[in-house]
Amino acid sequence: MKNIIEIKNLTKEYKKKIAIDNLSFEVKEGEILGLLGPNGSGKSTTMNCILSLLRYQQGKINILGKEMTPSSYELKKEIGVVFQDVAVFDELTVYENIDYFCGLYIKEKNMRIEMIQKAMQLVQIESYQDYYPKQLSGGLLRRLNIACGIAHQPKIIFLDEPTVAVDPQSRNNILDGIKTLRQNGATIIYTTHYMEEVEIICERVIILDKGKIIAKGTPDELKELAKIEEKVHVETTNLNPKYLEIIQQMANVEEVNYDHFILSIYYKKGQNNLTKLIAFLDAEKINYTKIFSERPTLNDVFLELTGKELRD
Amino acid sequence: MFFHNFKYSLKTILKNKMLIFWTLAFPLILGTFFYMAFSNIMESETLDTIYIAMVTDNEESAVVTALKELNNQTEMIVFQKETKEVAESLLAEKEISGILFLENKTNFVIRENGIKETIAKYVCDEIIKMTHIIEEKINVTLKEEFVENQKEIEAIIFRCMEEMNQYFQNYVPNLQNENHSNLNYIMIEYYTLIAMSCLYGGIISLMAVNQTLANMTEKGKRISVAPVKKGIIIFSNVIASYCIQLFGLVILFAYTIFILKVDYGSHLLKMIALALTGALTGVSIGIFLACIFKIKESLKLGILLAYTMFNCFLSGMMGVTMKYVVDQNIPILNQINPANMITDGFYALYYYETDSRYYQNLIHLLLFASFLLILSSLRLRSQKYDNI
Amino acid sequence: MIIFKTYLKILNKNKWIVILYTAILVFFGIFNMKTTETTSTFTEQKPNITISNLDGETRITQNLIQYLQEKCHVKELKETVSIKDALFYREIDYFITIPAHYEEEFLNHQNPSLKIENTGNYQASLAETILVHYLKIADTYNEFLLSKEEKLTKINETLQLETDITLTTKKDTSAFAKSTAFYNFANYSILAGNIYIICMILASFKNEKVEKRTRISSLKMETLNRHLLLASGIFTWVLCSLYIMISFCLLKESMKSIYGLLYILNCFNFSFCALSIAFLIGSLVKQKEAINGIVNVIALGSSFLCGAFVPLEFLPSFVLKIAHCLPSYYFISINEAIGKMEEISFQNLSTILIPSFIILLFSGLFIILTNWLTKQKQRIA
Repeated sequence: MKNIIEIKNLTKEYKKKIAIDNLSFEVKEGEILGLLGPNGSGKSTTMNCILSLLRYQQGKINILGKEMTPSSYELKKEIGVVFQDVAVFDELTVYENIDYFCGLYIKEKNMRIEMIQKAMQLVQIESYQDYYPKQLSGGLLRRLNIACGIAHQPKIIFLDEPTVAVDPQSRNNILDGIKTLRQNGATIIYTTHYMEEVEIICERVIILDKGKIIAKGTPDELKELAKIEEKVHVETTNLNPKYLEIIQQMANVEEVNYDHFILSIYYKKGQNNLTKLIAFLDAEKINYTKIFSERPTLNDVFLELTGKELRD
Repeated sequence: MFFHNFKYSLKTILKNKMLIFWTLAFPLILGTFFYMAFSNIMESETLDTIYIAMVTDNEESAVVTALKELNNQTEMIVFQKETKEVAESLLAEKEISGILFLENKTNFVIRENGIKETIAKYVCDEIIKMTHIIEEKINVTLKEEFVENQKEIEAIIFRCMEEMNQYFQNYVPNLQNENHSNLNYIMIEYYTLIAMSCLYGGIISLMAVNQTLANMTEKGKRISVAPVKKGIIIFSNVIASYCIQLFGLVILFAYTIFILKVDYGSHLLKMIALALTGALTGVSIGIFLACIFKIKESLKLGILLAYTMFNCFLSGMMGVTMKYVVDQNIPILNQINPANMITDGFYALYYYETDSRYYQNLIHLLLFASFLLILSSLRLRSQKYDNI
Repeated sequence: MIIFKTYLKILNKNKWIVILYTAILVFFGIFNMKTTETTSTFTEQKPNITISNLDGETRITQNLIQYLQEKCHVKELKETVSIKDALFYREIDYFITIPAHYEEEFLNHQNPSLKIENTGNYQASLAETILVHYLKIADTYNEFLLSKEEKLTKINETLQLETDITLTTKKDTSAFAKSTAFYNFANYSILAGNIYIICMILASFKNEKVEKRTRISSLKMETLNRHLLLASGIFTWVLCSLYIMISFCLLKESMKSIYGLLYILNCFNFSFCALSIAFLIGSLVKQKEAINGIVNVIALGSSFLCGAFVPLEFLPSFVLKIAHCLPSYYFISINEAIGKMEEISFQNLSTILIPSFIILLFSGLFIILTNWLTKQKQRIA
């Protein structure tokens, strides 16, 4: 697979702080690349630099083998962007908004009409096409925002946290839409601080913190970076603290803690841990209401790498 | 691309209630207020008849005859004979400006010092002086002709009086009046209204340009990543705002000319040229504000509104005297004031016979607008930002 | 109490806008009063004229100029000023050009003509009356006398003859013209200041989400309104006091009289009415952007229609009829009445008491209307 976007040694400084610190990575054709990081880690800044909206001190950005500048109109034709904040005209209807932004790319009118229909179908807002943005709920507004960005069917799509503050139904809708876009052959760069989303849709993930890449790879590769392989949570009341020490001594256990009636046990290796634990609990006649096991998340990876949670 | 953007630019502007209020409705409302408040003020500048009561014990006296004679000669002042009591009650009710007592001593009674009273006083003075001159004339004639016969004396007195009264009645001072017809200074108010409307057009272009700037709005970011020349988008937005502004001006002109009866002078083409240039200046101020400063849009709007109102204030909107005072004492302030250039241009068309003052204003406006536009376009060339 | 505190907090957050807005309004008020000196010409008895003398220092010409200087304000215009502009803007009302060889032609009975330009207003009529007055006497003596010396003596001797004048008024009402102008302008400042600031703060309270919270709280709607009114009242009181303080600084003497007190009482009464208007509008308008437009229309409108900017007597009768429906009209007519009042008597006071009462009625009406409207809205929502 060839590289669609190549970024080498990108550095961007604001007056006082360094927003991006010598960043290099590439985006491969047809993939969904996740840019993951907490707020202020430089995700949006990176994106704005790639899009040539921001001046940067150092670095080289190539898209489709060509250098990206503010007047690279041929390149811009292939790009679609969905910004973090909703960017639509309050004075125009849903349909008119999509038509306006699509019209900046596509001159031919009939072609545009078709594209607008497809975009509205993709995010399922056809039935709202004559509404004004003010009449839409937050989720619908986000969907409109996406439709405006991708109606012209670009090859490369940038999505900057498109699901912030969106209801679950709209979120699923949006994520499905992104998958569809990918199936239609688009390359997608997706920034977010929701690791669940990244796990669902991204093939490759880059984790950013303070403008630097701290890890990259497929979600599974990344998870291996975490020292633990399994987490087990037991909901139980009145646990005698003496059991904590006993559990700590069991095989593979990395860490045990008991807080708010939940006993959490972290295992280094993940085989048969749960059966052994249940056998132990039964033997000691410890009552529990709920027990469940989970694989480590990207949050655990982030926690491992930086010592802080992704979401603060 | 130009028309695609133009179409939507028009739509967004026309849907924005705030824009429409300030640029289209507010000048009309203010114009109506001006009309209601000022429509009588020019008429009240001219003098209406001054009524004076006279109280006399001798109706046959020369002075009374002269005053009665005066009533036929002028419409400015009317003397009517009243009894003392009636006259005094009329004065108390402000029905008359004064009472002239012509008893053994002449006395003019007024309520307060005013211009009507002053004029009336001069008229009374004149009567006294004329009487004095007649008396002198009689004395001189009597001395010259050495008559002693009572009848002859009376004849001479009568002749002198006749002669002098004839003279006074036929007297016309030789004044060569070179008055201008267009002296209605209230017109300045309406001209500042046009100026205000022109400058408020800047609000439209300010918002239209702001929409295309990536460092101001999210929509601007979208436009910046689209494969279109930003120059074309801005140009088409500006043309759209200019069109709407001109549409507003056409309405304002039609309203002021046909309903409020404002006089813009007789040069239609020159008037249109000035309005077009004025509107261009307004648009260029909006563009300039939009792209030079990186501040919140509401703040930019606030600056524009304040700038416009202050300039209109200096050009006489809140009192015509202000324009004159500034023109006389701090001319530079009004020479860099686009509102005044527009106002003064119309003033020149209305009041001046020569065109030089009009063209001077027109050229100043063009220079002002070009200066702002050049600065703005230099600034707009840079398309990347340090921060967004 | 919590409403009261929150109100003041929001006011404090907006303090720069408040200060700026108030400063501009007060500045306009002061400026307006200062220009009253030149525009309210009805107390002056000397018109402003300019003479251009092309005849030089001849005796006859100088005699004419001397007389005009005595009876008129003869203005020397700056070199940069054109006569045309000076006439248009009424710096002068009458312009006389004395042609070359005026004396010579005068003495030779050639009846030389004076060129004049005028504005056609009261002042110009007065100037012309004075000029004609002189010319009539001068021409008469020129006709009947022979020697130049004799003519001059006789002309000047006759000009001395004047009617005796008796003034009947006890109070110099012209001194109060400025105070009246200042307080008439207060109509604009007080209305604009109150409506703009109070509506802006009320808009924060009426913000959709905030209002919903207030509505579901156990607080009675009337109590909320009453507290908001009270807090706004403090602002109104401060604004009004500020205006009055400035009037004391500017109009020292006339404000220290009993008439000054009447102006102040009237101003407070009207401020209360402005508060109730602001309150009514505040309960109707929710968008902050709309406030600016509404303020301009209401404050400017009522000021133009009710004579705050242009004296009442100059307003067309149809405008006056409309004005009768607005509280501003009564405020301004009281100011006018105070300015023209010659003595404090029961009859004079009653002429200002009735309109004062009407203003109070307006205030009450607006407050009742506000409460009724908020109740209606509560039910519908």
